[in-house]
Amino acid sequence: MRNAKPEMRVIFIIILLLFVAFLIAPLLVLFFRSFVTDDGGAGLSNYMASLSNSTLISAIGNSIKVSGVTAIITTALAFALAYAVNCTRICQPLKSAVKVGILIPMLIPTITYGFAIMYTFGNQGLLTKLFGRNLFEIYGFNGLLIGYVIYTLPAAFLLIHNSFKYIDKKFIIVSKLMGDRTLRSFLNTVVRPLLGALGGAFVLSFILSFTDFGIPASVGGTYDVVATQLYQAMLGSIPDFGQGAVIAVLMLFPAVAGVILLNYLERFNFHYDKFSETELTPGKFRDSFYGILSLVILLAMFSVFAVMFIAPFVTAFPYDLSFTWDHIMDVFGSNDLVSVYRNSLIVAVLTAFLGTIIAYGSALLNARTPIKGKQTVDIFSMITNTVPGMVLGLSYLLLFNDSSLKGTFIIIVLCNMMHYFTTPYLMAKNALTKMNPDWETSGELLGDNWIKTVYRVILPNSVSTVLEMCSYYFINAMVTISGVIFLVSAQTTVVASKINELQHFAKFNEIFVLSVLIFLTNLVVRAVCDIFQKRAAIYKK
Amino acid sequence: MLELQNISKQFDQKTVLENINLKINSGEIVSLLGPSGSGKTTLLNIILGLTGIDQGKVIFNDKDLSYVDMKNRGFNIVFQDYALFPHLNAYENIVYGLRNKKDTASAEEVREYIDFLELKPHLKKKIGELSGGQKQRVALARTLVTKPKLLLLDEPLSALDGVIKESIKERIKSIAKEFNLTTIIVTHDPEEALTISDKILIINQGNISQFGTPFEIINQPQNDFVKEFILRQLQIKRQNIFNLFGEKYA
Repeated sequence: MRNAKPEMRVIFIIILLLFVAFLIAPLLVLFFRSFVTDDGGAGLSNYMASLSNSTLISAIGNSIKVSGVTAIITTALAFALAYAVNCTRICQPLKSAVKVGILIPMLIPTITYGFAIMYTFGNQGLLTKLFGRNLFEIYGFNGLLIGYVIYTLPAAFLLIHNSFKYIDKKFIIVSKLMGDRTLRSFLNTVVRPLLGALGGAFVLSFILSFTDFGIPASVGGTYDVVATQLYQAMLGSIPDFGQGAVIAVLMLFPAVAGVILLNYLERFNFHYDKFSETELTPGKFRDSFYGILSLVILLAMFSVFAVMFIAPFVTAFPYDLSFTWDHIMDVFGSNDLVSVYRNSLIVAVLTAFLGTIIAYGSALLNARTPIKGKQTVDIFSMITNTVPGMVLGLSYLLLFNDSSLKGTFIIIVLCNMMHYFTTPYLMAKNALTKMNPDWETSGELLGDNWIKTVYRVILPNSVSTVLEMCSYYFINAMVTISGVIFLVSAQTTVVASKINELQHFAKFNEIFVLSVLIFLTNLVVRAVCDIFQKRAAIYKK
Repeated sequence: MLELQNISKQFDQKTVLENINLKINSGEIVSLLGPSGSGKTTLLNIILGLTGIDQGKVIFNDKDLSYVDMKNRGFNIVFQDYALFPHLNAYENIVYGLRNKKDTASAEEVREYIDFLELKPHLKKKIGELSGGQKQRVALARTLVTKPKLLLLDEPLSALDGVIKESIKERIKSIAKEFNLTTIIVTHDPEEALTISDKILIINQGNISQFGTPFEIINQPQNDFVKEFILRQLQIKRQNIFNLFGEKYA
């Protein structure tokens, strides 16, 4: 094979150093810190103390319980929606509505879900008013469950939906022609090929729920879960770094187990190389059933978020419903809140920019160069995929607490870059692997150096992917709270963490205005991204 | 003149090429013919400079190029799938190399290449809008504009069908003649090799099986491999054609 060029080595070394300093080192520190005893020695005392702490034990039990129930419900709903989109003849607009509508929660911080749930199902909530009574107790298990399901539904849907694309629908027809009954046909041609994806959706929903901080922070009430325990240990009235480290390590366990399980489930996925579009068989009952079901799921989700768009525009929800701009004006008139929004923008733009460079560079080295040791990038990507945001944030706090990075934007940006590295990296790797492997050689023979070919050929042919990566980083940096909750300072507070503060002053209008602001910003970024992508696609043809 | 002396190459202790000795005269078209896995593509890449050698020498016009970078050898290649840049149109692909070395070819010369390859009507087209034969010609033009001292073609006809194949064959012959350009072609198809080249190098399992003109290969096959795998195929083809047209046309 060709030899690695010096410029490849330079980029590789920079990337390696970044990962060692901002991923490996913090995690090692966290791990060691969990064994440091109160008197400074090494031992298991932190673990002993934590495991004899009944609150923590019950929190772990609660987390497992609520995450498990979430995972079951989410997987079922996500499957139903994906089935409706891929295997029924419900009308196209409804299919599009499902595909787009389901993604809306991704544009909003999870902490907002909690408040939306309160305003919907609480004592004075929207639906409570409609039904005339409290439907159920929202603080605790029920509220968490609703929040988690909404939070994990988009990811689970995307996973199953993508797998549906790799199912050859001709098998459904073959199975019918062979005389299979409905159930047998369904099990053999839909469920069996999707087994891996369904398992994956379950595991993914479980991990996401288990490690999320935003939802329990808002609607958890006295129902303790691991994430809130970790927050208490670190930022509560008596900070206990040792115990925090132990909880973080404990939080890592299900995440690690989950990722291993996901890789194992990958085996159950079918991979058909060739498949053609096939007309779906008609089924009136099937279509009306799934049509109504997807409508109900979508409406239920929208009804929870509806309040977010109503409350800020009325005088005093739900008592005085007269329209007003006051709350909006208040937020924009408040230096504090405007600067928080500006902070969020700075962090998101920097994360999108720097994160995309690092992820693209890593993918480029891995997919298109002969450099030795390039597999390490895959390992980093697996680690970033595994480590929950809160754990990473806590590791940063432990390692960089005494450094000049503390309380800066750059530490938040770095944390986001690492936390969300996997998806953009895989996007880029996927796109780059598919490109003609001889472009670099051709470029070199035509007088380019490597960097020049990357700039003149590789990059222009992956514009669409780069945009996708940017928007992924941007949107996630806008909404994340678990990753940054330990890292923000008074000067670098971002919207999601500010919402966490505002709830203690019951400033719900401000919370909703800020959330709508985040939502709209993300919507604009997404739309701009789409426009450029369409343009890139036309340009390519 | 290109001379290969004692070229050997191993990948992970597996010998891919063994003691290859070869002389190619200026302006000659030489095919490297062999089944897949015979080492012919590796030999092409060694000449190009993409793959390093473990042993032996690559000498071009009395200069030892064995350890000269691919970029500085002055050779160029057209890949099997052309490796054209899809975000640029045909013309932009053709002049891509001129951005780096402006004085390689004048505007007049570029126009000559374009006319010679009959690409004028297609210059504004995106790569995706070109047919296989048109892509092949754009790739040839892009390569010729850099004025290579040696032209390498990796399976230039395998992606083309029927009549186009024959016309590109003629085109390659006329390029070699017109520009007195030494051309080396990798192929697995005996008919292709024997009808396009001045000489054929038959490679089997990393060794030279026979090197000679089409006439020599047909009339004096040197071993069983050449007889079994090269001539047999052609004989079957001939028989099929005979059957179709009848003996009288033979």
